[in-house]
Amino acid sequence: MLRFESVVVRYGSTLAVDGVDATVATGELVVLTGSNGSGKSSLGRAALGLVRAQSGSIQVAGSVARSPAEWRARRQLVAYVPQRTSVGGFPLRLDDLLRSGGDHPAARAAADRLGIGALLGRPVSTLSGGQLQRAYLSRAVGALGAGATALVADEPTSALDFDGQEQVAALLAELTVARLVISHDRAVVERADRVLEMAGGRVRERAV
Amino acid sequence: MSAAVAADLGRLFALDAVRRAAAGLLLGGLFLPIVGVLVVGLDVLTARLAMMHVALAGIAIGLWIGVDPTMLGLLCCGVVGAAVAPLADRATGLSGPMGLVMTLAMAFALLVLSISGVNANGAFSLLWGSILATRTTDLVLLALLATAVLGWTARRHRDVALVLFDREIAACSGVHVRAITMTALVLVSLSIGASVRLTGALLVDALTILPALTARALAATLRSMFVLAVVAGLVGNGLGFLLALELDQPLGPILVLVSGALTLLSYLKKGITHAPAFH
Repeated sequence: MLRFESVVVRYGSTLAVDGVDATVATGELVVLTGSNGSGKSSLGRAALGLVRAQSGSIQVAGSVARSPAEWRARRQLVAYVPQRTSVGGFPLRLDDLLRSGGDHPAARAAADRLGIGALLGRPVSTLSGGQLQRAYLSRAVGALGAGATALVADEPTSALDFDGQEQVAALLAELTVARLVISHDRAVVERADRVLEMAGGRVRERAV
Repeated sequence: MSAAVAADLGRLFALDAVRRAAAGLLLGGLFLPIVGVLVVGLDVLTARLAMMHVALAGIAIGLWIGVDPTMLGLLCCGVVGAAVAPLADRATGLSGPMGLVMTLAMAFALLVLSISGVNANGAFSLLWGSILATRTTDLVLLALLATAVLGWTARRHRDVALVLFDREIAACSGVHVRAITMTALVLVSLSIGASVRLTGALLVDALTILPALTARALAATLRSMFVLAVVAGLVGNGLGFLLALELDQPLGPILVLVSGALTLLSYLKKGITHAPAFH
């Protein structure tokens, strides 16, 4: 389970997340929508400690992270699909990216299913935006195979074609952990158990 | 190689200074290109200038208080390298902080030199070394650094690759990103601090950055980048050293030109096999 309680994230004087309370139960797929700059990515990244929540608490499987060591452990509990459609030029093969998730066979199986299994030897920097998103989702499946109990995915279908959106949405729907997916794609929203909408750093429930 | 050239080189290699310089370049060729890969990967191209001035500040303090200036310069490089590591997590990266370190260290060194009355030329002369003045103790220091750099990168290769590729993905893969960054910066700082004293600023680039740029143009993985950088470093150093001896010209510029030519060749190869980004 992933639970946000009164979470506040600020960047200097900019309030990105304004006292958010939200819960994603185990097995639940919650889609987070909202306009650009509404705080969606900040909320998702705060769950992994990639941005600092100034106040409030974020529980994963009932535990709260405080020290750097606890945050490192937290990042093993939450699989993450970052919002990336391009990467820098520093060399890393796709297979090595998949391996970094933890459960390499699970990640490779997901890569096969998402149609990038033949690209394992390619440098990640040569992948297209859509291939990169499939790669990060495959890596996250590897992290789940290695013991992560929740998933945070940030716009995992934004660079995909329609078939790709369906493929990724179907895979996300099949997972059995707590899933918080930031997305506006119909294919993902249609499969959601609940949809939350974010505006001005605050969250409200929206009818599916 | 003609017999006359071989005989010339044979006579030169009979000199202790030449043998020690060759050994220094061989050792440098083994680990400084790896340092260069870390410099390029961490985007701290200004580290060379920053650490030169940090070393100068340490040397000035050492001369002032009567402590071994070279060692104090190196210690300062290591401490400053570790101190800037936390700034790598900021969105702006390390490039800005390195510029700040460079400026502050330069001002601090000049102030210390002025207050202490230490001869500035004496301090600078410890910094602006020559590869032909390499001593046995310098070779020992290079060997220690080579062992540390090669051992650490071999042992933590996976973690280093992830940190240089994407710090967030590394953090989400169980990598202790801050520790890796700090270790890398300390090794970079110590290596540059030690090498600048031996080779001068010009040669440090030839031994670090140029082989790394050559490798970056050709490599598909970090492992191959490390290997190609070391190969480029050893080939550049070897060819440059022999050429400088044979032509009886200063070693620094010849080594830089040879390493630079290798880098240009790698760019040409990349240009042939990769389409331009735009017309």
